[in-house]
Amino acid sequence: MLASIPSAVLFGAQGHRVTVEVHVAMGLPAFNIVGLPDESIREARDRVRAAVMSSGQPWPSQKITVNLAPSLHRKTGSGLDLAIAVGVLVAADLVDPAATDGLAFIGELGLDGSLRPVPGVAPMVGVLGDVDVVVPVESSVEAHVAAVGAVRLVTSLTELIGVLAAERPWTEHEPPLLGSAPHPVPDLADVHGQRSARAALEIAAAGSHHSLFVGPPGSGKTMLASRLPGLLPRLDRERSLEVTMVHSAAGVGLPPEGLVARPPFRAPHHTSSMVSLVGGGSRSLRPGEISLAHCGVLFLDELAEFAPAALDGLRQPLEDGLVRVARAHVHATLPAAFLLVAAMNPCPCGGGPPGSCQCGEARANRYLRRVSGPLLDRFDLRVSVQRPAVDEFLAVRPEEPTAVVAERVGTARELALARQGVLNAALAGPDLDEFAPIDAAAAALLRAEMEQDRLTGRGYHRVRRVARTIADLRPGPADVVGDEDVATALRLRTSIVPARHWEQVA
Amino acid sequence: VSGELPAEAYVAALAGFERMTSSRLRGLLAGREPAAAFAIAIGSGPAPPPLSAVFQRFPDLAAAWRRDGAERAPERCWEVCLAAGIDVVMAGDERFPPQLAADPACPPALFVRGDLSILDARRVGIVGTRNSTQQGAATAVRFGHEFAAAGVVVVSGLARGIDGAAHRGALGADAAAPAAVVGNGLDVPYPRRNAELWERVADRGVIVSEWPPGTRPDAFRFPLRNRILAALCELLVVVESRERGGSLITAREAAIRGVDVFAVPGSVRSRASAGTNELLRDGAAPALDPTDVLIALGLDHRRANRSSFDPRPMPRGDDAAVLDACRSEPLTIDALADRFDLSLGGVAMVVARLERDGWLIDSGGWFEVVDRWRGAG
Repeated sequence: MLASIPSAVLFGAQGHRVTVEVHVAMGLPAFNIVGLPDESIREARDRVRAAVMSSGQPWPSQKITVNLAPSLHRKTGSGLDLAIAVGVLVAADLVDPAATDGLAFIGELGLDGSLRPVPGVAPMVGVLGDVDVVVPVESSVEAHVAAVGAVRLVTSLTELIGVLAAERPWTEHEPPLLGSAPHPVPDLADVHGQRSARAALEIAAAGSHHSLFVGPPGSGKTMLASRLPGLLPRLDRERSLEVTMVHSAAGVGLPPEGLVARPPFRAPHHTSSMVSLVGGGSRSLRPGEISLAHCGVLFLDELAEFAPAALDGLRQPLEDGLVRVARAHVHATLPAAFLLVAAMNPCPCGGGPPGSCQCGEARANRYLRRVSGPLLDRFDLRVSVQRPAVDEFLAVRPEEPTAVVAERVGTARELALARQGVLNAALAGPDLDEFAPIDAAAAALLRAEMEQDRLTGRGYHRVRRVARTIADLRPGPADVVGDEDVATALRLRTSIVPARHWEQVA
Repeated sequence: VSGELPAEAYVAALAGFERMTSSRLRGLLAGREPAAAFAIAIGSGPAPPPLSAVFQRFPDLAAAWRRDGAERAPERCWEVCLAAGIDVVMAGDERFPPQLAADPACPPALFVRGDLSILDARRVGIVGTRNSTQQGAATAVRFGHEFAAAGVVVVSGLARGIDGAAHRGALGADAAAPAAVVGNGLDVPYPRRNAELWERVADRGVIVSEWPPGTRPDAFRFPLRNRILAALCELLVVVESRERGGSLITAREAAIRGVDVFAVPGSVRSRASAGTNELLRDGAAPALDPTDVLIALGLDHRRANRSSFDPRPMPRGDDAAVLDACRSEPLTIDALADRFDLSLGGVAMVVARLERDGWLIDSGGWFEVVDRWRGAG
């Protein structure tokens, strides 16, 4: 007999519909899976066989062939276990074929017949369309996020067989509340002093400018960066779904309310490999940290300690907002539009006020060279952060809380979108004169900077974009970018090289 | 052939032997011809005391020297010196600096590029940290410039930071020639970025070293170099130094030799001035101005050729106040905003103007005042 059961597999962050066809016929007892299964699916044979027998069903001693259609693509993952088991039971006449009509199955089986969750249920359920999906209880949130039809939750194959034999009803579960709960995010009010760094955060959030914080250890770079997501507006429904799909595919726990509604904040350790940052892996093409930071913030602490190759892998995604990962047999496109925030010390000893560095010149240069010029160029804001003075640190002066700043950020973003359709960081060079005109005083200031070799041509455009954002953030009319906006932008683009040009003095 | 070799060739070879010190070399050369000393060192003859005692204490040294004797043939060492234009001046030579000859730790020979006779003029040493601040470097340039202009030879170490700045200042005055004492071979400029400065000093003045050509700049050689530097000056000025800097070693060597030590005072909060301020507390004379030092030398210090014209527009209002605040210590933009109760944009404007006019310089987020001597030399 033949059975045909819908299920799905995952490539990158996308689900792909797979029909599990099971054929049971006379012949020497065998159990084969065809249709380009990979190692993890071939192992399903042993799991499915044990799970069926543990559920009190006889294993058909016939020739069983499983085909995974379409057979063109290589498939991976253990999520097909449940569909294969159901297919075998139907094809062997142990379950009524009519009972599985309009149902799709996703889940991994244990040898005892229990059902286990797999990563990526949300995108997989998403591609199944208008059917009822049967998934493990643990995948409830992910399934509900994307389901069109009903979501059926089961804990074991035994329970499922009981339901399909009409001996018992589907177990009722409270559906998760798909809304948005307020999330505690670290508040800017906790940051004392650090005026320019706070301003930089606000500007980064408003214009989506990639930012680099340079300063000695203990100056609060990490503390500042973790406050950035709180300044970004909540994700709209469409973005939220996109992010949720990626997080589900990566097996990252979703928030209890299902959708990822807050811009995510990812802070991979500096020992992270290129694959873990960019995504990939030899078979499954898992989303990397940059995709998990999609629509949110990717924070790279100790930037200079990252492997140079891993950092250079960020350049293409930074440009395109997505990453194409290709392997011999498969390739996937993953979303990766993130706001990059990085932190580093000015030199290996940590630096500090002029004259306090203890590094030899060669050592300091080696450290700085680890971050390639092209990557440094992507940072619109390069902010020098210093340890706050004791008075400032202990001051009881109330600092502006995140909520207030976020409101200004939101207004500035709307202003930019209404004016030019994109955020300021994405303004093309030729459009600057139209959307970010500068007055004569500002132009003179920029000219002086360039004449004195403190500003390059590339830096010029970046300063103008940042100045545009600064003008958008300040109260009052801001059609034209003024000299104060430009001066502030220049200060937030400090040279990352500490004063090592003594020789130039003479 | 060896008969035609000058005595200096043997000394040039011996000076580069493994773990050769000036006292060992002095012992070897005492009372015998350098050729004979070379023969003894490579084991051709029995080692007389005190060398025999040294060989006994370091059993591997005799073998190392035998090996060195084969590698450092006097003919070859001499050729290298000739090719690089390096003189070897032995302690007995009339060209040998007399102030050094009288020194208890006098090197038996000096390797020299340039003209040793310039050391007959008045000499002031300028030393300081390699990791200087912009202000410190500017001070060194100014002192170097003024001393040279007053006809005083500036003696320094050609290192990064203060030393190099002092030499640049001295060269910029286009008057008295500079002198340098280094801790490595004269054919390998170190640090490399000072290679051009190195050539200019050799060209106009003199560079000396107690190590033969090819000697690498090992860390232990610099403190040794400092004693020669100290012995060569009449007076030593320390511009900036950490609490434990190499320039403090020079200051100590100078004090031992009765050479007066001057220190340039700095902010008590600046690490770069911790060492110099300590010197002041311990009794060094403060050098606020090159004139202070010139007076101590008993020199006429009339400011004849000095232009007091500063082309930079004088800052006014907030600008002047900000500049003044940065004069005492480098400040960040945040500190300035707080101190003057300005908005970030307001401070940014002030700093932008001061930077444009050449008053301030951004050094990794800290603003330092630029001395008007920027551009000299």
